[in-house]
Amino acid sequence: MTAPSRTARPGAVPPVPAPPESLPGDRADRRPAGDAPAPPVLSLRGVRVTDRTGGRDVVHGVTFALAPGRTVGIVGESGSGKTLTCRAVLGILPEGFEVGGGTIEIEGTDIATLTPARWTALRGAVISAVFQDPASYLDPSVTVGAQIAEVVRVKLGLKRRAARRRAVELLDAVRLRDPELVGGQYPYELSGGMLQRVLIAAAIAAGPRVLIADEATTALDVTVQAEILDLLADLRERTGLALVVVSHDLAVVAQLCDEVLVMRHGEVVEQGPADAVLRDPRHEYTRLLVTEHERYGLEKVLTPEPSKETP
Amino acid sequence: MTSAPHPPRPVLEVTGLTVRHGPRRRRRTVLDGVSLSVAPGETLGLIGETGSGKSTLARAVLGLVPVSAGTVVVDGEDVTGHDERRWRALRRRGVVQYVFQDPLRSLDPDLTVEESLTEPLLVRGVPRTEAAARARRFLDRVHLTTALLGRLPGELSGGQRQRVAVARALVTEPRVVILDEPVSALDSANRVRVLDILGELRADGVALVFISHDLGSVAGTADRVGVLYRGELVETGTAHAVVNRPGHVYTRLLVGSAPTLRGAPADRAERDRLRALLHA
Amino acid sequence: MVRRVLSLTSGRVAMTVLLLVALLAALGPLLAPQDPLATSDDVLAGISGGHWLGTDNLGRDELSRLLAGSRVSVLGALEVALTALVVGAVPGILSVYLGRAFEWVTLRLADTLVALPFLLFAVAVIALLGNGLTQAMLVTGVLVAPLFYRVARAATLTVARSPYVEAAVIAGAPVGWIVRRHVRSKVLPPVAVAFAQTVGTGFVIVSSLTFLGIGVQPPEPTWGGLLASDLGYLGQKPWAPVAPALLIMVTVWAGNLLADAIRDVSGEAGRALLRSRGARRRPGTTGPDPAPAPSGGVR
Repeated sequence: MTAPSRTARPGAVPPVPAPPESLPGDRADRRPAGDAPAPPVLSLRGVRVTDRTGGRDVVHGVTFALAPGRTVGIVGESGSGKTLTCRAVLGILPEGFEVGGGTIEIEGTDIATLTPARWTALRGAVISAVFQDPASYLDPSVTVGAQIAEVVRVKLGLKRRAARRRAVELLDAVRLRDPELVGGQYPYELSGGMLQRVLIAAAIAAGPRVLIADEATTALDVTVQAEILDLLADLRERTGLALVVVSHDLAVVAQLCDEVLVMRHGEVVEQGPADAVLRDPRHEYTRLLVTEHERYGLEKVLTPEPSKETP
Repeated sequence: MTSAPHPPRPVLEVTGLTVRHGPRRRRRTVLDGVSLSVAPGETLGLIGETGSGKSTLARAVLGLVPVSAGTVVVDGEDVTGHDERRWRALRRRGVVQYVFQDPLRSLDPDLTVEESLTEPLLVRGVPRTEAAARARRFLDRVHLTTALLGRLPGELSGGQRQRVAVARALVTEPRVVILDEPVSALDSANRVRVLDILGELRADGVALVFISHDLGSVAGTADRVGVLYRGELVETGTAHAVVNRPGHVYTRLLVGSAPTLRGAPADRAERDRLRALLHA
Repeated sequence: MVRRVLSLTSGRVAMTVLLLVALLAALGPLLAPQDPLATSDDVLAGISGGHWLGTDNLGRDELSRLLAGSRVSVLGALEVALTALVVGAVPGILSVYLGRAFEWVTLRLADTLVALPFLLFAVAVIALLGNGLTQAMLVTGVLVAPLFYRVARAATLTVARSPYVEAAVIAGAPVGWIVRRHVRSKVLPPVAVAFAQTVGTGFVIVSSLTFLGIGVQPPEPTWGGLLASDLGYLGQKPWAPVAPALLIMVTVWAGNLLADAIRDVSGEAGRALLRSRGARRRPGTTGPDPAPAPSGGVR
């Protein structure tokens, strides 16, 4: 596939051409006049992921560009290829999988050219990620403050004492009440929501420009999920962090994202601005997801405007 | 006869239910004076988060957790003081059944679908052939093919497993089914399928207690909704009333946090305000 | 279960070897070409037509002693393992169900048994019950029992806390039903592994007790006893211990192989494994399988 240049429209995304208003360049065009489109921090062009053992593609061409302070959402059920896409971006595809086509650029650098050393320097400092089960990413026998301080020391080269201070600041930045206290606690002493905040604190420790949140709120209670989503939105506004939010839940993505990709069986079946995709889904699969959500969702009983109330 | 319509007698009535856990020194109140009732054909939704006591409530009603105070009346029988033997007798009648959250662990991995489905019947002494026939009927009831009867849980998808678990809860033809997060582990399509089945059950006159942290599934399914917060039932009402006119701060935060396709009902500043209020 | 074990190559090999050992135990004493107790002046002789495996330090025929000793050795090892199984695994399962008091007592007993000095305890019990193989093996079995207790208890605890057991409780199932239907299949594999290991240690224990004159009196041959006495004459006849050592090793190895086979074919993973093997052998007979292939590679 020919990869178009970043500023040009990416053209048709196989196999379903994205609606014209969905294109990343387009979105930038609609931003307020005088605001020049910022160069994307992350861009994917026709990215395919190949299962080497089976010799077949499991992700068939993902294209999007992510500017600072923006959010792209990837929706799909398990096996849709959304997680593999994220892993490809992070350079951590599982054994037997490889990027079989297309290009991934982080801050304008094609990641195919990166040496392992450059990758290590890049992860955390430029691109970072949080996943579903926070507890499994933390050492149960070390306090969470010490674990964040370690990330700070390695990534920023801070001295021990300064790193500890920075860790507490980070815990405060993810809006944990009493960050000093939490920093001295062990993972098992914290709830799932608190652990996810701790992981977010570690993920943003080195000031990355892109954060990938792969089902990061799936296992959490609704109010806690909202807290984490609010925190991500907050970080995005304060620091210009660009977000990739991956979820099986259409509504989670709707809440946070500017652009949405709907994936099924490794294919992007629909892509476009979040409100357009959700209000006027074009692909039958997206329509199905929307109707399923509305059939047994809050929408069914929620009367949004008192004036428009109709039984 | 046109006598005044009596409200149907509740099949499950819980009054002032209190459950305390732990050693005497550090005794925690997990449930504090919860009262509720469910009538035949009615669906009661119970919303609560981790640690709200929702699962303890279900387990207390089933006699799996000792009750510290209050009464539980199942189908007219006060079960509060029952010993193990009387509980077993009651359970064998299969009046109350339970569907677990995790469909992966709620079925014995070594038993075939048929063996799992017939278990509640064989325990009651139902003849094997009749039990097998009923297993087939109820597998059909949850819209699964009888070809699955010989399968092991490991060979089924998550959605199929959960429907088998629902079928197992139904084989004794219970009057009340308690469902603890029945759709949380399922994807969108299976969630809809299981919720559809629950709707059909309700039409058959089975009383359902639908426990979940997900306001959306509960509100879209239940006639009445109760909100559990830290062991207390802080709010009850019709789904419509609770969602649109929440009273308690927690309920307001809950409604305001629920993701919908049009964004959450409350904005970020409002949620922050409610959080501050709740933790004050 | 037996059929499932036999469907594995390792299971078939293990079963064959153990069957041979059992035959040896049953017929061994009858097969002995010479009197295993008859001494001669021809001490520590090498291999010859008269003595296929040579003679020992008292001029007794090694092969005859090996064959004659097989019954006592095998029975002794089995006795140890069976005693441990009954005394250990059964209370291990019941400790989860028979209430706090039973649990407390059995746990303390298990701890105590582990702490007891083995030989002292063995000597004391034999002083009490009289010397004999059965007594010695019973004592050993009781001392090994804590292993079975812990293994069975751990497996039972995991099962007892699972939602499917709770579902059975809600259906009104009594404890016996739950143990038979849900617990047994989960406890069997780890206990089988422990059993095979114990049979292995059983041989060695029989020999070390024989060496001390506990259980089996010295003139009577056992595999372990032969090994011990042969080891004493390594200088004169270095290859002598090979035959008894090999017998013990092969038997223990077969026991472990069997235990592994049992573990492999039991439980969910085991059934999936067998199903995939069956599918490979008879393509098409299982029909289209919409379930996710658990082991992969089968299409």
